[in-house]
Amino acid sequence: MFRFKSIISRIVILHVVAVVITSVFMSLALSWLLNYATNTIHDEAMQEQAVSVGEHLIAHSDGQLELDLPLDLLGLYSQAYGRYSYAVVDARGHVLFSSLKDNAALFPADKRSRDVEFLQQRIGDATVSGASVKKTVGDHAVWIQTGEDLANRDVLIDDIVADFYRNVGWITLPILLVLLIADIAIFRRALRPLRQASEIASEIGPARTDVRLPTDEIPREVRPLVSAINLALDRLEQGFRIQRDFTADAAHELRTPLSILRTRLDLLEDKKVGHALQQDVEGMAHIVSQLLDIAELDAFVVDPLEKADLRSVTAEIAQFIAPLALAQGKDIALTGATEPVWVKGNPEMLGRAIRNLSENAINHTAAGTTVEFVVEDNGTVSVLDQGPGIAEEERNLIFQRFWRRDHNKAGSTGLGLSIVQRIAELHSAVITVQNRKPNGACFSLKFTPLAAAQAGVA
Amino acid sequence: MRLLVVEDNAELAELLAKGLQTAGYEVDVLSTVEEATSVLLTTFYAALILDLGLPDGDGLSLLREIRHRNNPIPVLVLTARGGLHDRVHGLRSGADDYLVKPFALEELIARLEAQLRRPGHLLGSSLRIANLEFDTRNRQASIDDQPQVLSARETEVLELLMRSKGRVVSKKQVEDHIFGHSGEVASNAIEVYVHRLRKQLAERGAKVQVHTIRGVGYLIAEES
Repeated sequence: MFRFKSIISRIVILHVVAVVITSVFMSLALSWLLNYATNTIHDEAMQEQAVSVGEHLIAHSDGQLELDLPLDLLGLYSQAYGRYSYAVVDARGHVLFSSLKDNAALFPADKRSRDVEFLQQRIGDATVSGASVKKTVGDHAVWIQTGEDLANRDVLIDDIVADFYRNVGWITLPILLVLLIADIAIFRRALRPLRQASEIASEIGPARTDVRLPTDEIPREVRPLVSAINLALDRLEQGFRIQRDFTADAAHELRTPLSILRTRLDLLEDKKVGHALQQDVEGMAHIVSQLLDIAELDAFVVDPLEKADLRSVTAEIAQFIAPLALAQGKDIALTGATEPVWVKGNPEMLGRAIRNLSENAINHTAAGTTVEFVVEDNGTVSVLDQGPGIAEEERNLIFQRFWRRDHNKAGSTGLGLSIVQRIAELHSAVITVQNRKPNGACFSLKFTPLAAAQAGVA
Repeated sequence: MRLLVVEDNAELAELLAKGLQTAGYEVDVLSTVEEATSVLLTTFYAALILDLGLPDGDGLSLLREIRHRNNPIPVLVLTARGGLHDRVHGLRSGADDYLVKPFALEELIARLEAQLRRPGHLLGSSLRIANLEFDTRNRQASIDDQPQVLSARETEVLELLMRSKGRVVSKKQVEDHIFGHSGEVASNAIEVYVHRLRKQLAERGAKVQVHTIRGVGYLIAEES
């Protein structure tokens, strides 16, 4: 069965069908009614004429009948005028009186006919329509026939009826079409709150779970649906919140005992043992941090409206990481863009990606060498080290969770680059890994740059 | 000097108190926002060490309440969440510094001291790296306890770097510190001051190194 895709098209198409059918039936019905009405008027008029002619029939004592019409009636039935005619016929079918020139009857005589009969007869070129009324004058039963020549130029009513369908019938069609257009306008107007609600709904996403559809202007018939959607959104938001709260709670629950442990070690009398254990706690804390980052990233959604200055984010990370590098006898440098580089994304997450890349680079670069950050105006940030580089066959493995080249190497969890990859995915950023000449690796992240106007800065 | 520690984990609070007492501070420990709010109304503390996750509310709300009352007490925030967002949020609410758990006691004490020596704070004291010492009260640098004469600009740069011991000071921060926000700064002015300071310190036998992190800033550290 055919299904309509839109309410408006359903209304338009079905309405057009209804309009066509209605306009045909309406004009047929009107035309029939008009015909019926004119016929009735005509028949009544003819009957009255027959009665009035009958009133002038006089029966003489010898049994002879005489018709004594006054002048006005003689004029009406004159052959010169030719519109009306009469005849009086007796029971034997003899024409006693007639206005026609050959003294003919208007209609064939029929004794069995009822007292009043409406008849139509072709006489020569003319179509005569009229009535036959039975009357008893003296001893005689006579039939008085009166008729009207429908072809006479003075008879307009038939022409009107005949033309009615052609002239008047067609007027109903445009009127009904105007009605259709009005209906469509009314319906579109009624649907407008729904359209506005749809626009609001289009803003709802994982990053904007607080938006709700307005119910004030929504038609009562549709309001249950809109309210149900709002309730569904409440439940979804609740789900998101539980997920987000989990990482916050987990962070607290995991880091507080580590803090206690760490402080307890700091207070140990035996500094030598304390120092070794402190290193272990640092390592543990690092793994906890990265696991929490991964948990958070699984529930994280980038707000599409968020933007970040890649240069300042990178500078902040370089500033943060430099003491760590210096402590290991390694250097840090930041080069490239000198002005802000605006990209789409969450600054916090961008920072975490760059931080993990730089921790990785510091771990691998040779002592006495420099880890370099390069920010480019096209939204790319690169971290360059002077370590062993990445073998071709390892380039896909390095981003897997817990993958490590050397499982005995301290301070490596195998999570850092998987965090980088997840953040890149969330931001539709492209990761490139290349080896440098003569040695070293270069990790690049290309984010979506924003024009200055979009970034909201002059 | 009396400090207030607001931390809901009794064990951690006790250990922090012990560590801070060892460093020569007197310490009061509270575990709720409510207690802290009322105690801070009546008692003067040199600094507040505030945990963000408290049982009866967010530590940040206490912080806003304190700043709302125009209480200038230095506040060091402890947080279990390491996000930059949390940090920015915390600092905007009026925290002076923050530490992510777990942290070294040494780090906590160093940050605390940096806060207590803030300009405007009553208690002056001295900053020390290896044989280099800087007295923040009379802004006097000494090497091996011998007072040194440095130019005004060099002294300012040295003070800023020593206050940020263990952390990188961005070039912008140095510019703002020396020139304020007014006036044009010659692009290489800071580099020139740092270069001179480095030379002076080396000539006079200070066992410290002023590192230049290219494109980022400067860091002072013990000579490696």
